[in-house]
Amino acid sequence: MTAIAYASPFVPVEWIAAHGLRPLWLRPPAAGGGAEFAAARGVCPYAGAVVDAAETGIDASALVLTTICDQMRFASALIESSGRCPVFLLNVPSTWQTGEARSLYLAELCRLGRFFEKHGGKPPNGAELARVMLAYDRARSALLSAQSTLSARQFAETAAKYRGPLETASPPKPDAPPADGIPLAVLGGPLLEADYEFFDVLQRAGGRVVLDATEGGERTMPRGFDPRKIDADPLRALADAYFNAIPDAFRRPNAALYEWLGRELAARHVRGIVFRRYVWCDLWHAELQRLKRWTALPVLDLDAGADDVAAPNRMQGRFEAFLEMLA
Amino acid sequence: MNDRPRKITLDQWDDRHAELRAAGLNEPSYGGPLGRHAAQGDVRLRKLSFDNSPAALRLWNFLLSEEDRLRDCKARGKKLVGAMKDLGTVPVMVYSLPNLAAFYPDGAWWLPCMKENRTDLLKIADSLGIDDSFCPVRAMLGAFVNQKHFPLPGLLTCSVGATCDDFSAIAQRVESLGFPILWWEIPHRRRPDGDEPVVELPGGFTAPETQVAFVRAELERIRRALADYAGEPLTDELLSAGIERANQVRSILGKLRELAYCANPCPMPALEMLIAEMLAIHFCSDHNETVAVLAELRDEVVRRVRAGIGVLADDAVRVFWVNPVADLRVMNLLEDAGGRVCGTEYLFCHALDPIPADLPPMEALARMALADPMVGSPRDRTGRIVADIRRFGAEALVVSRIPGASHCAWEAAAIGEAVRAQLDIPMIDIEVPSLADAMRPTLRTRLEALLETARTRRR
Repeated sequence: MTAIAYASPFVPVEWIAAHGLRPLWLRPPAAGGGAEFAAARGVCPYAGAVVDAAETGIDASALVLTTICDQMRFASALIESSGRCPVFLLNVPSTWQTGEARSLYLAELCRLGRFFEKHGGKPPNGAELARVMLAYDRARSALLSAQSTLSARQFAETAAKYRGPLETASPPKPDAPPADGIPLAVLGGPLLEADYEFFDVLQRAGGRVVLDATEGGERTMPRGFDPRKIDADPLRALADAYFNAIPDAFRRPNAALYEWLGRELAARHVRGIVFRRYVWCDLWHAELQRLKRWTALPVLDLDAGADDVAAPNRMQGRFEAFLEMLA
Repeated sequence: MNDRPRKITLDQWDDRHAELRAAGLNEPSYGGPLGRHAAQGDVRLRKLSFDNSPAALRLWNFLLSEEDRLRDCKARGKKLVGAMKDLGTVPVMVYSLPNLAAFYPDGAWWLPCMKENRTDLLKIADSLGIDDSFCPVRAMLGAFVNQKHFPLPGLLTCSVGATCDDFSAIAQRVESLGFPILWWEIPHRRRPDGDEPVVELPGGFTAPETQVAFVRAELERIRRALADYAGEPLTDELLSAGIERANQVRSILGKLRELAYCANPCPMPALEMLIAEMLAIHFCSDHNETVAVLAELRDEVVRRVRAGIGVLADDAVRVFWVNPVADLRVMNLLEDAGGRVCGTEYLFCHALDPIPADLPPMEALARMALADPMVGSPRDRTGRIVADIRRFGAEALVVSRIPGASHCAWEAAAIGEAVRAQLDIPMIDIEVPSLADAMRPTLRTRLEALLETARTRRR
């Protein structure tokens, strides 16, 4: 089956799968070896890693990126100009309050569908799209229900799997973290493949992640689908569930991110926030101080470079100090 | 009095100003010796070299009196609009209404340079977590907080979407501090698909018709907000007249650029040309005066070209310059090293191209907004740069990075690659902070090496 790689939660996995294509949620490796862009000054390590991954070859026929950050927009142009991998840049409006912005996102999904057709996809009929949507919806609901029985890493890895083909994503075996761990939220942008170890390090230091608000985590899961809306117009229901519901730093204004956080932090009795941002990621970096002023919870600023995985001891030390303060 | 074109210091300008006044120079209300601006805090002026024409004096005085002009506008009952990020679109709409004036809060990015950091703007930005990993436009955040550099506008607009992350993030912080913003979306300009209807934009880029329609709808929201704020409708007739006036500025600038960048010897220094180009963005808060200032500058350049005189040596190396510099002194440095500017892309070439006058005004403005070089693929921008390098006959290219700007880390390589592939000219990629004094020897050496390489190729 033809694979389509993508690297943004605003690309609905259901839309790829419904075209008969295999969704591949891109988790690029950290910079190293031949990596060129990820370590370049001023370049966000994640955007750079996506370029490096595309240049060295990804196991997909095409790559879908979005306009939710400027650096990914430039990354898309660079990948396209190299000709190594066909790339589609999905225009996701930063504004959300107008019907025109919502219509633009829907129109972009239609355009993306035509791109899929060029790469071997078959346009789904309404029933097929509805079936795929409901299958993913059930999988995500089950994952969220099982969250308390899973370690943070298990949750993150499974969430990532559920952004791929469902057939190969088996539910994880419960491996709950110690109940006495200090409840934490992790907030920020996307993670590189090696960054998932971050959750283990945090847990070993005595933390228990009860809210994964990174770009691959719970924050960016679409709202549950309304079966009546699916019956009426599945594609519109899909677009609404993604575009109208995912809170993010890039949105203008981005007050919904704080509304969502306020609700979820309180509901899960979070005692501290680990704010993970990439060096040179302006969108998340700019929110750090605002977050600190907004919340009464302690915030640990974890600025990540391209080579952070090489310094796990440093990371662990910072977690331990943070958790010691919270204990 | 010696009227030979040359570059002079601030002190020399004050002496010359006295001589010109004694000889009968008639100045506008904001006229006067340039030294007074330095005394009032724009201390960077003391390190700059200036063109010695009365036209340049007027240009500088016009630029440096904008804060006073804005406060005067407000005192006279005009309503102010802060038009952020779009670099040339919303101001055209604002100036179509007689009781509104637009300014460009982003312009605060030059304050750290002009004040040589003797302001608390960057300190305020730092305290709000917007540190020096962001573009110097973070000074704008400080200016909103300390309210010392421009009067607060009653309406703030900001274009977002395909804009740089620094600005979008900083503008969000401005809003979160209690300054409401009317956000409007400028989508990433893409290539039309297959049989999709295509629209040609001013300057030669193209866009799908649907994107133009989307931007038109976004600008309609701005139009309604401006009309509500002004208390009168912003009709098509008013907009058409506003476009005509904007085109008047662009037409004068077009002629000025053609002469200043092509004639030999160079008739106008790069620094004055940079300031002149910047006026196109928001007319420095006074449209009519912008026309007068630029017309006088153009006439001076015409006079010099006809007389075969200029401010630089005949053999100055012709350099195309990409991106505005955070430190104005670097434009002097290029000329001190033996170069001259022959063509620019200061991020807003769409504000220099004529706005189509034969279209309904909102359609014309939407096309102009989408022609912004920064909202499309860097390939488009590079294509325009290559075409303009050919048009102006530049012998070398300088890509000047803005520290921390999200686009700069990516674009220099792309532009350099395209230029190397299509043109046989040398290129350097430099980074210019708000105060580049500490880097001056290094920058000069690099510029000299570039110019020497270009000279070698003449042989």
